[in-house]
Parts: sequence; C-alpha cells; structure tokens
Amino acid sequence: MSAAASQKVAFRERTTRALRDSNLQQAMGKARGGFIEKRLEAMAALPEFDETRDAARDIKDHVLANLDGYLELYEQKVIENGGQVHWARTAEEACQIVADICREANAQVVTKGKSMVSEEMHLNSVLEAAGLKVVETDLGEYIVQLAGETPSHIIAPAVHKTREQITELFHEHHSKLGYTDRVTQREALVNEARSVLRGTFVTADVGITGANFLVAETGANVIVTNEGNGDLTSSLPRVHIVTAGIEKVIPSLDDLSVLLRVLARSATGQEMSAYTSLYSGPRQDTDSEGPEAYHVVLLDNGRSTMLGGDYRSMLRCIRCGACLNHCPVYSAIGGHAYGWVYSGPMGSVLTPLLNGFDDSVDLPNACTLNGRCKAVCPVRIPLSDLLLKHRLEQYRRRLTPLFGRFLVRAWAWVATRPRLYQGLMALPLWLMRRRGRRRGALEHIPFAGGWTDSRDFPTPAGRSFIRQWHSRKGKS
Amino acid sequence: MTEARTQILANIRSALTGGEPRTPLRMNELKARIESSTPKAQPQFEDDLLRRFCQKHVAVHGTYERVAAQDLEGAVLRHIGAHQVDPQLYLGAGPLLDAVQWSAQVFTYFKSADQHTQVAVSEAFAAIAETGTVVLCSGASSPTSHNFLPEDHIVVVDSARMVRHQEDIWPLLRNREGAVVRVVNLITGPSKTGDIEQTIQYGAHGPRRLHLLIVESA
Repeated sequence: MSAAASQKVAFRERTTRALRDSNLQQAMGKARGGFIEKRLEAMAALPEFDETRDAARDIKDHVLANLDGYLELYEQKVIENGGQVHWARTAEEACQIVADICREANAQVVTKGKSMVSEEMHLNSVLEAAGLKVVETDLGEYIVQLAGETPSHIIAPAVHKTREQITELFHEHHSKLGYTDRVTQREALVNEARSVLRGTFVTADVGITGANFLVAETGANVIVTNEGNGDLTSSLPRVHIVTAGIEKVIPSLDDLSVLLRVLARSATGQEMSAYTSLYSGPRQDTDSEGPEAYHVVLLDNGRSTMLGGDYRSMLRCIRCGACLNHCPVYSAIGGHAYGWVYSGPMGSVLTPLLNGFDDSVDLPNACTLNGRCKAVCPVRIPLSDLLLKHRLEQYRRRLTPLFGRFLVRAWAWVATRPRLYQGLMALPLWLMRRRGRRRGALEHIPFAGGWTDSRDFPTPAGRSFIRQWHSRKGKS
Repeated sequence: MTEARTQILANIRSALTGGEPRTPLRMNELKARIESSTPKAQPQFEDDLLRRFCQKHVAVHGTYERVAAQDLEGAVLRHIGAHQVDPQLYLGAGPLLDAVQWSAQVFTYFKSADQHTQVAVSEAFAAIAETGTVVLCSGASSPTSHNFLPEDHIVVVDSARMVRHQEDIWPLLRNREGAVVRVVNLITGPSKTGDIEQTIQYGAHGPRRLHLLIVESA
C-alpha cells in the first residue's frame, strides 16, 4: 500500500471513529455555535471591521513580498537588545537548537506557553528524550498533555474533551500530588490546575513560548493569551526561548495594532484578549528580574517554498481559528481526524504544503466548498479556493483515484457537447421528476447511494434552464 | 547555523525575485516604512474617553474606583478588606504611587512577586480608552512578576495618561526617557480561560481580580 493510500485509509478511519465517539460529539456540540455567535457580536460592535481586515491583509502581503528584508531588520533589533536569533530550515534543526540551549543552560524543568510551531516541530518528545521535564501551561494544552494527546484546535486545544474526561484526567494525575478529591465543577478544575502549575512556573529553568507576531521595529515578540500562562513562562525562568515561523514578522507597532484588532475578534470574539505582551530581550542592568538569556528560533520548514507559488496567501494566516470554528466538517469530526497539528480549513491547506501532497490526499476533499472559511478569514485568505487548487494539483499529480479521474474526464467530454449532454440527461431527469413528484425530494437514487443514504435529493425543476431559454427566446 | 540562515534567506529571495540580490535602496525603503509608520483603519467612537474606558473595563470583568490621589491607600484598603486579603502589598512605581505615604496598616515590599504573593499595586504607564486596557512597563521598580503572580492586581491609573486608540501608546513608548522598555504588558481584565467546555472561568494563571484606582488629575 502506498503512503497516500495508507493515509487515506487512516483519514477515513479517524473520521468514522470521531463521528462515533460520543465524548467528542458531546464536547464539540457544546462548543458549536459559541465561537460563531461571539465573533458576530464583536463584528457588529466594530463597523470598521471590514476595512481593518483589508488593512491587515495588506500589511501581511507587504511583509511577505519583503520577507527577507524584514527578517534581517528584526534580527538586527533582537541582537541590539541582547538576544540571539537562530535559523532552522527544518523541524529537526529547530528541535536540535532548542535542545542545545536547554543543555547548555543545565536545564531540568521546562515550562511551555502554547505554541503551534512547537507542536509542528514535535518539540516535547525531543526534549523529553533529552531527559527534560516539559510542562505545558496553557490549561487546554496541559489537559491534552496529561491525556497523551495533541491539541485538536489551534486556539482551544482541549475543545474535544468533556468536563467529565477532564475530571478523570486530573484525578489520575493529581492524586499523587495530594489532590485526592475528584473535582467536577469548572471553577474547581481551573483552581486545581492553577495550584498544581504554580510551583512549576517558579521553578522552571527554561520557558518556551510561541509568538503571535515578531515586530521588526523593536525586536519584540508578541504573545496574546487570556490565562497569563504565556507571561509567567516568558518572565520567570532563567532562559526564554521563542519559537516562531518566519512568516510571523511584521514591520511596526502600528501594524501590530491593526492585526490585534482582527485577531482576538476573529478568534474568540474578544476586542482584546486579557494579555497582549511584548517581550524584547534578556534582563537589562536596570531590571530587577527577567530571563538572563533570550533566544528566538525562526523556523522555515517549507514556508520559503510556499512564498514562491500559488499558496503565498496562506502565509498571511495569523492562527485565529475562525475557519475551524465555521467549518461544518471540522465541527463534525474535530481536529484529530486531520492527522496533524493543523486542522480545519487552514490545516487542510497547510498540511499538504508542509508535509507533502502524497500523504494528505483526503484533506482537501473533506470540504463542502461552502466558503465560510474564506468569508470569515481576518486576513482574507481564499481558503476554499486554495482547497480547490489542491484538488486540481492532486488531479495533475495523478493522486485522484482512477475511477474518479475517469468519471471527471467522461463528464467533461459529454458536458462540452451540449446536444449530447441534453439528450443524455433528458431521460434521468424525467424519471427523477416523476418519482419525486409527490414529496419534492428523492430518498434513493441508483448508483448515488453515497449521497442519498444520509440525505434526500431535491427533485429537479420542471424544465431545464436551456429548454426554458430556448422557448422564451422563441416568444420574444 | 549561519548556513541555515543563508539558505533560508536565499530561498526567500529566490521565491520572491528569482534570486536577484536585494538592493540597499530596498532595505532603506523598508526602514523608512517602519520609521514613518502611522496608524491605519482605526475605529471611531465617542469623545468621553474616561467613560468609554470604564465601560470597556467593566465589560471584561474588571472593577474600579475613582479616587483622589490622597486617598490611594484608603482605596487599596477598601479593596483588600472587601476580599479579605492580608495587607501585604508588593509595590511598583510611578509618580502617583511613589507619592503615597503608606501607614502602619499595611506591609509594603519592593521586590519581585513570588508564588505566595497575594496583592500587587502597580501604576499604569498609560491606559487605552478603545478597549479598557492598562499598559504596564517593566523597569527597575516595576517587575513584570507583579502583573501575573498575585491573586489581586491593583493598578493606579492617572486619567491624564488616558489615550484614545491603542496606537497612541506607541509614540509615548518611543519617546519615553531612559532605557528601552523591555516588557510591555497590555492588560485587559483579569486572567481567564475558556478551555473547559468553552465557558469563561476567571483566575486561570494570572490575577483573579483586576481593580483599577483611577485618579483624575486636576
């Protein structure tokens, strides 16, 4: 079996499993709608939302068209501030860099703020193999770490977990720390995690965070959180390491403000998240605290290649998660079914580009092309168009199944011959009209069980458009 | 790792320009864009900045009291009394805060917060009416740990330091005297999480309560 075929089977299996997983369905059911409503409210409260989105898109486009220049300007500033910048071509290189910094710092305990790039690098397993204790501190990340899983949503990592599952996880892992009561209320669960993690925050040697933005003007990395865990991770340990994709750089603080206005609103419907913080280097002589060393690891991992092709606009992504929240497919199957760290529409576009087309054949096809992802994107990435482009690319690379390819070609052959097309369609359309006359819909169509098994097919309209056109033209 | 740097930058250039080297002129244009950066696409809103600020702050679960500068200690005592917190204050710095003559009713500490710190009192560098945000800058006497470790964070806000839009704080920071600000925290409400059942719960890892003492300058 080829890699493509095995991934395909795996995707189908994962999807089926997800649809039958009652915990997942319960959790996703609770999340569904909340994000959408909150975003709508935030939009209604900002009449300038659309022009802000345009401005955000333009900033990102400008950066991408000058990416090398801005990266160099950013690097210069970080060095001026006393920090170090490391460049990594691949995830392996990036992990090696981080592991080396930890080793040189004689680190034992590492705290982490939420970072999707570090998930992309599979950093935790590398650091653990190097003998380090790695603790995720974002509550959602902490929950999935205890469960031995990966995040299922880029901003809500544990969206697939029910409260009951979290209760069991905490009981299993915290009992030995003296938290022997099984807590079930949300507030008590949050308090328990707060109390357990507090000690880790103050004893960690190295803190690793991601970056929502890297500002070339000042050399600051910007992190946006609601919990404050990212700030404790950035400011308490001896060493602070930032992991970020090369596309995260932006020119100025004014550009930052524009992007922040669309980020939180699109993600959670907030005008501002509780904490938006700019960290720009190690402690200065005048500081009474702060990390002694500050490192930024810039990861390429396929991004520079994306810059040259049709998918450049995907590098505008600010990882807000709006496309996941508005995707009916994501909402039904959750993030894990996608098989890699990025899920939903943005994941289906990114995964083939970063991980290879052969290994992610089903992702661009697990899409109804309803276009909601494209409509809600704060930086106007034409996500559904890019997914369609992926499908075309699959067809070109002969990754589409043989029978499907044959059908498409046969259909194209017939459809470009209008008389033949109409002649061939007349009989089935007539039959469908006859059979569906009473209900206005068909429950079953031969050879199309895949469609009609789970939904009705609407009865075709009285006469075809072309027939009507011809008869009306005759009358006028 | 310079090899990786060289290769990544070469890849980017080849993707963007087919590999043509970037001219110094282009680099200067980018620098000029940063230096002459101006706000874009800002929201319009009412003129009463203080009212807007308070509304936005309350909307994110913050509390506040408008006080006279002479009454700052009283306001701090009222807040910690209401929440039955020990009067052990980790103090930051600022023109208003420095002027307070603390009485024997409180214990004051001028050091980093630790995991047992209950209350920190800071002074905001500025406040943003647009979103009800307070801006805190790190410095010799205002450690970042005060903003995140305590249970209660009390922030003194001088209403004269109130700006309209977020962009208005950038010139203040750029023109600030003394060393470059290493850490800037824009804080909008107390710590919270939605990670359990996507329902907001306050007091995740940072302060459970964010209480502002707004001093209206004459």
